[in-house]
Amino acid sequence: MEDVLNDVVSSEDLKKFESVYHEQLRASHVTQKAQFEYAWCLVRSKYSADIRKGILLLEDLYNNYDTEKRDCLYYLAIGNARIKEYSKALSYVRSFLQIEPANVQVQQLETLIKKKMEKEGLVGMAVAGGVIIGIASILGLGIAMAKKN
Amino acid sequence: MNRVDLKIVLLGNAMVGKTSLMQRYVHDSFNGNRPYQNTIGTVFAAKQVQVNGVSLVMGIWDTAGSEKYDAMTRTYYRGAKAAIVCYDITKFSTFQRAKHWVRELRSIEENCKVYLCATKKDLCDEGFVSDDPDLQNTVEKYARGTQTKLFITSSKTGENVDKLFDEIVQDFVSNPENLQQVEEAIVLSRKPEKRYCCTVI
Ligand SMILES: Nc1nc2c(ncn2[C@@H]2O[C@H](COP(=O)(O)OP(=O)(O)O)[C@@H](O)[C@H]2O)c(=O)[nH]1
Ligand SMILES: [Mg+2]
Repeated sequence: MEDVLNDVVSSEDLKKFESVYHEQLRASHVTQKAQFEYAWCLVRSKYSADIRKGILLLEDLYNNYDTEKRDCLYYLAIGNARIKEYSKALSYVRSFLQIEPANVQVQQLETLIKKKMEKEGLVGMAVAGGVIIGIASILGLGIAMAKKN
Repeated sequence: MNRVDLKIVLLGNAMVGKTSLMQRYVHDSFNGNRPYQNTIGTVFAAKQVQVNGVSLVMGIWDTAGSEKYDAMTRTYYRGAKAAIVCYDITKFSTFQRAKHWVRELRSIEENCKVYLCATKKDLCDEGFVSDDPDLQNTVEKYARGTQTKLFITSSKTGENVDKLFDEIVQDFVSNPENLQQVEEAIVLSRKPEKRYCCTVI
């Protein structure tokens, strides 16, 4: 059960982080932290509408802030894999591994995603789509990560 | 593996060696050459152990440790039977943070047993001095005062790592209630799979 692709958020947690986010939204000041925590709950929801919303929030964080890019990529990969957007999920994994090729946690995630695809008989398809996200985001990430060090 | 009988969480600052501890215990390995990889969110690993003729499944949650993940970490220690609170034997500030987790767990998760774990003992043995020379005394006094079991470990050499986890298992099975739950779970997992329907609350 407890692999990262099946770990489901409890509804209390989702509600808790959702209300923090919405409060801040109403006050027109959403912190990165609140947005990330809410998104992190959403991508672990059992409803794909929630997951999609979580993905949007993560993409927004990824595009607008230089910090926490690796965290965003990781959860973007998880969210996409959970709604069976495997080619996207794998491109996020690959972008991550471009920067940190030896990252065990992400290598394990890649294996999990591929296993899930295999189970669903989808192995051949991912490769073609994988290129789409491509160079731009990889470069962006590289720069952001380099700045941090 | 669908069953977890004994849930354990690893807490403590980033960099203190939580992931290495789990790696040493679960895979009996240590990689000191790798550049540091800050864990993202949480990582889960399962390990089956035999104790008193019962086979129980230990589920270990390794957490990121940085404060930005605190709210998330709290959702993971819920229901844990044991928490290993780690600090780096060479860094006083990591012990401060460990105390914070011990206090929090004691007040929120009453059924969670807390274990203090000093990491990187090998550095100490090699003569590396802590940034507070009195750290070990302070920790020992604290452990006695709060009745917290303390283990001084090295994931590099493996020293005391199994001992720590064995102690957790022993403490767990020494409670008959826990054992009974494990036995019930084993029986359930043998039955043909039940189909549960979603309940609307
Ligand atoms: N010498 C020594 N280094 C260790 C030990 N455990 C971990 N480290 C190193 O400390 C750093 C942080 O370890 P890690 O397990 O990733 O810490 P985490 O952030 O708490 O998960 C890594 O560079 C490890 O190689 C140990 O027992 N001895
Ligand atoms: Mg770690």
